[in-house]
Amino acid sequence: MKLLTLRGVATEAKLLLIGIPVLLWTLLPIYHMVLFAISPKDTALSGALWPEHPTLHNFAVVFGEEHYYLSHFWRQLWNSFFIAVTTGVLTLFVATFAAFAISRLRVRGGRAVMNLALFTYLIPAAFLAVPMYRTMGVYGLLNNQWSLILAMVALASPYAIWVLKQASDKLPYELDEAAIVDGASQMQLFRLVYLPLMAPSLVAVGTYALILAWNEYLYAFLLLSRDTAIPLSVALGNFLAADDSPWELLMTTGLIYALPPAAIYFVFKRYMAVGLTVGAIKG
Amino acid sequence: MAVVAIREVRKKFGSAEVIHGVSIDIADGEFVVLVGPSGCGKSTLLRTIAGLEEISGGEIAIGDRVVNDLPPKQRDIAMVFQNYALYPHMTVAENMGFSLRLRGASKKEIETRVRPAAEILGLLPLLDRYPRQLSGGQRQRVAMGRAIVRNPQVFLFDEPLSNLDAKLRVQMRTEIKELHQRLKTTTIYVTHDQVEAMTMADKIVVMRDGVVEQVGAPLDLYDRPENLFVASFIGSPAMNVLEGRIAQDGSATFVTSAGAVLPLAHAPQGSAGRAAVYGIRPEHIGLANDGVSAEVVVVEPTGAEIQVFARIKGEEINAVFRERHRFASGDAIRLAPDPAQVHLFDSQTGRRIEGADPDQTLGEERRLEKTT
Ligand SMILES: Nc1ncnc2c1ncn2[C@@H]1O[C@H](COP(=O)(O)OP(=O)(O)OP(=O)(O)O)[C@@H](O)[C@H]1O
Ligand SMILES: [Mg+2]
Repeated sequence: MKLLTLRGVATEAKLLLIGIPVLLWTLLPIYHMVLFAISPKDTALSGALWPEHPTLHNFAVVFGEEHYYLSHFWRQLWNSFFIAVTTGVLTLFVATFAAFAISRLRVRGGRAVMNLALFTYLIPAAFLAVPMYRTMGVYGLLNNQWSLILAMVALASPYAIWVLKQASDKLPYELDEAAIVDGASQMQLFRLVYLPLMAPSLVAVGTYALILAWNEYLYAFLLLSRDTAIPLSVALGNFLAADDSPWELLMTTGLIYALPPAAIYFVFKRYMAVGLTVGAIKG
Repeated sequence: MAVVAIREVRKKFGSAEVIHGVSIDIADGEFVVLVGPSGCGKSTLLRTIAGLEEISGGEIAIGDRVVNDLPPKQRDIAMVFQNYALYPHMTVAENMGFSLRLRGASKKEIETRVRPAAEILGLLPLLDRYPRQLSGGQRQRVAMGRAIVRNPQVFLFDEPLSNLDAKLRVQMRTEIKELHQRLKTTTIYVTHDQVEAMTMADKIVVMRDGVVEQVGAPLDLYDRPENLFVASFIGSPAMNVLEGRIAQDGSATFVTSAGAVLPLAHAPQGSAGRAAVYGIRPEHIGLANDGVSAEVVVVEPTGAEIQVFARIKGEEINAVFRERHRFASGDAIRLAPDPAQVHLFDSQTGRRIEGADPDQTLGEERRLEKTT
């Protein structure tokens, strides 16, 4: 049994004092969102803590695309999905090769390139949105989902490279040397030794890029405008264009939109923590 | 199996040269140990042989091929790393078969090569385990297994035992030696532990600061160290070294700077009064009534022998006895170095002075005489 000293109790109490308000503060908006989603249209703003007649009617409306704003719901959900997954995969592709080159092959100037890339974070992404819009216009990519995907990969990559580079620096260099002596080419080294050992970090970074793209609003709003091209996040924003926004539908769709990231987080949480390198070397 | 020739090899890191022209000839099937203090360049030299470092000058040949410009995989060598460097995501069997897999060998072929190697090393029951599920000694064995499976021309070991505890180290030492006697593969083994060097080597290469100090069979280095560095590095406990001069009067004695008179077998020709260093191993000091008087400082019995730290005119000297003398701190004793076993070194250069022991060339016979 844990021995509770007075000091321990005091520390714990302090932590709770901070923790509980923070928790409530975070949960409150989500609570409101859920409340809206299960309330009938006319009682949504009644101020009750829990609706008298909770209903799933709103979900039926959303899934049935039975509202003007929701007429492309499934298409837009798919767009979000496609953009997020493609961004995740492309970012991983770029960042893994870059980190391998910088950290393992020790390519000349690699670190400088990485630092330059990180340097771009000094400028808030929002300021870059308009230049990015111009650039995509020049390449004729406006209203093409690839413009958003490329923009998101560009935004996610510097951080992804940095994280992967830090992680690969921790892999013992003797592993590479052992593989080289064993006769591995650089591609074999990458595929058979590096990738498997980096798997936990790859999952973490891929998820990061995926969720970043999933949650993106500003770039998506600027770069895409056709109703069938925009992701759901932009469609949600369009709800607010009307004076009589259907709040309960907005919140229901929002709730649905929040579920995949939460699910991804819970599925991959354990992978991110596992340290695969245990037992590689005796330190 | 192959001969290895290292000729005038130099290695620079940037502008700093850490290997200054090293030449070593290694015969086919020989077990050569590179030994020397930390930072002397042993690992660097081994890595140049492996091809993990490029050399800045000289030539390395394995078999009849000069390998200077060949990548590691074309040199037909296998290397065992100090920290084992096992692939953590592969089982023991996969680790051992990895080099074959890279060459595109079939599953069946890999299996038929991994099994016998695993059997030799007692790894059969562990083939499906991951490195993290193994003890230090087992990991060490897997690392060797990975090398054996390749059946290379040369094995390279870089301090493979330094992460093991003392007892396991002694056991693995024997195992590696047995393995070598069985496979007869040319082996280059790096260690900073002179006991490992003495017990395992056919030939020892003593290095210091990027140069070779002496090359020879273990007992040759022990009996005839060519300089003070080798003399103090080889042998445990270390050789006693005392500064002073060869007696002026032409008698076969040596006078330490503190004034103690120690015996020599011969004074080398024309050396009367020459400043020199007197070296005598602890096990070559006996007790005798006409010995030099000394005061016991510390007594350390190890069971098989006792080690005595004493002072002769204030100078520390270390003697080892197989007999169970009952000495106590402060006792006065008389120590008698065996004149036939004395080494003299030049006090300036540290080089061996020849002629102090004219019997040296007959060293082998002398040893035989003594045992009969
Ligand atoms: N990559 C490197 N860059 C610069 N200097 C290096 C490098 N590797 C080794 N050195 C230097 O070369 C010298 C020899 O190093 P080396 O690792 O060969 O020593 P060692 O004899 O193996 O020592 P130890 O017993 O500690 O392993 C050292 O002075 C070291 O600082
Ligand atoms: Mg070393």
